[in-house]
Amino acid sequence: MTTLPTPPRPAFDAELRAGLAVVGGMFPPTITPDLIDFMRVSYASPPLDDAFLERRITRQDHTIASHDGFPTLVSVLRHADASGVVPAVLYAHSGGLMFGDRFSGIDLVLDWVDQLGAALVTVEYRLAPEYPDPHAREDMYAALLWLAEHADALNVRADRILVAGASAGGGLAAGVALAARDRNGPALCGQVLDYPMLDDRCATPSTSQFDGVGVWDRVSNVTGWDALLGAARGTAHVSPYAAPSRATDLANLPPAFVDVGAAEIFRDEAIDYARAIWTAGGDAELHVWSGAFHACDIFAPHTAVSRSMIAARNAWVEKTLAD
Amino acid sequence: MQELLGRIARLDPSASLGLRVIACFDELVIGRVNTRALLASAASLAACTAGFEQRSPARVVRIAPDGHRDETHAPSRRPEMTAHATDDLQVWLERDGPQQPNDAIILERLALAVRIRHGHGRREFDNRRHFGLLVDETVDEEQRCISATALGLMAGRDYRVAVAPLFAVWSTHPSGPEDVVPTQFGPVHAVVIPADQEDLDATPCGIGSPTQVSELHRSFRTAMVALRLCDPPSAPLVRADDLGGIVGLLADSAGVSRHPDVEQLATLLEHPWGAATIAAVVRTGTVRQAAREVGIHHSTMQDRVETIERVLGFDPLDGFGRTRLGTAHVLWRLENSRVLELPPPGTS
Repeated sequence: MTTLPTPPRPAFDAELRAGLAVVGGMFPPTITPDLIDFMRVSYASPPLDDAFLERRITRQDHTIASHDGFPTLVSVLRHADASGVVPAVLYAHSGGLMFGDRFSGIDLVLDWVDQLGAALVTVEYRLAPEYPDPHAREDMYAALLWLAEHADALNVRADRILVAGASAGGGLAAGVALAARDRNGPALCGQVLDYPMLDDRCATPSTSQFDGVGVWDRVSNVTGWDALLGAARGTAHVSPYAAPSRATDLANLPPAFVDVGAAEIFRDEAIDYARAIWTAGGDAELHVWSGAFHACDIFAPHTAVSRSMIAARNAWVEKTLAD
Repeated sequence: MQELLGRIARLDPSASLGLRVIACFDELVIGRVNTRALLASAASLAACTAGFEQRSPARVVRIAPDGHRDETHAPSRRPEMTAHATDDLQVWLERDGPQQPNDAIILERLALAVRIRHGHGRREFDNRRHFGLLVDETVDEEQRCISATALGLMAGRDYRVAVAPLFAVWSTHPSGPEDVVPTQFGPVHAVVIPADQEDLDATPCGIGSPTQVSELHRSFRTAMVALRLCDPPSAPLVRADDLGGIVGLLADSAGVSRHPDVEQLATLLEHPWGAATIAAVVRTGTVRQAAREVGIHHSTMQDRVETIERVLGFDPLDGFGRTRLGTAHVLWRLENSRVLELPPPGTS
């Protein structure tokens, strides 16, 4: 709780403000621990069988063993016409580490399946606070190992695996890329970090600019990190695989695509992450979208700013992934 | 967004989706977005293509729910899904199948917004409706009185404005003029009622001070203060009248400056006993009564009052100290109000 007047902040885009008038009822700006149950209902993905049918996407579910033997569900989605060996995307969904499922926000990622022919592997990673760190990130990493080991059986190219995620999933994707480098794991051809949740310290200027407005404000972020890390949040005992902003070495990572809104709390940590990759001599492409609130492409894909955001991202993924 | 509207309806069957559609187009008009953006929002809300035709110079735009141009062959326009924004401008929804519950309001608001975008609204206030003008003090008095008359309000009578979030639950719905009004705290549902009307019951809801028609902007601001002091279920409805003279001061000093007393008070409110103790001290004004209200021994309350005095730097029970504590407390409640955020289901 703050008693200081809210600092000045960039305004939301006009079309997105209109979208907020609708979204507000489903995704409150401020999520406290007592809202987790509500969000699990509200943010659950709708039934998708019809959408898959319409887009001619097939789905295969597999249960894999995570780091601790826990049975983790993954779905492999591919286009009915895709034949032969195809590139693969390992995907971590959004939902603040506490809610959502492997099909949350999947619409946008399905473009890569039906337009680029990629196989999409989306992971039902375990959620906090019931499952604190390291479960979510190790579920993701176990899925990467499984994907690389079963590349032949899955008909995917082991040399063309992209890791991607949105919001909390963006943080997990960045963590997977760091872990794969440090553990001599499977090679990744790229990492797509959409408005990623990277920093448990919640201390950037953009974090304090958004209280009680938009989607996913400062308090929501504290709620999410507290759920994942408990008392360790903000201390020296946080793994960079959980909070990639903690990483001190960002050299030798796969090419990164980072996008973020100028009007959201993650603006500064996303910019800082791209800058740190460049400083380490790496490859990063950064897009900061004016007037964009968090995950506006999921909530209001019809708006001009969201369409630009989606188009820029899809162009990069095509360049990085497509045959 | 139609999918989102559907989810909201499933989560809260009493939610007023029509009001959300109105609020959505209000923001688009205020934001002066172009025709394509208006059509994209309409299409997204309706989950079908929205179209626009201008006769001269000839121009047709058709936008699909994903915001992209619809390049498919245009079906014939259904009369009940078509609206004339002006003689020269038409908008429509390309609904395949039966009309949906929100189609009419989407079409009506789209037509209005397109009309304004193309410069056909009234000259000066073409992007605002009467209600918004009535409660805006920066609008000149003559225009406010014109708007009041247009809304059916009578000069010489006293009225109040009542405000509620879009998700409020109304058990008694008043019959006065109402609309969605954008504020710095988000869109609110506002209604004008006669000053002596008692039977209004909504949760949460703020009821403004009684004023003449030309001063209803003041009633609106005091209603916003009252609304932000609501704390359901213990305080589901707050009347500006109950705050006396302070409500006018609060309405006119909308959280722009820092208040050292409020900052000190915030540190006290972090104590587990803070909220209940301070509320009791403000309400009762004596150690014994406050102790009785909280249900603790008066010597414990005395210790707490001494802590309060030490942190605040003044005696909260002495003379002007009581005013300072009461003022800081109500300011803190305003600044930390969460009443305009959607509560979890089942709590309202």
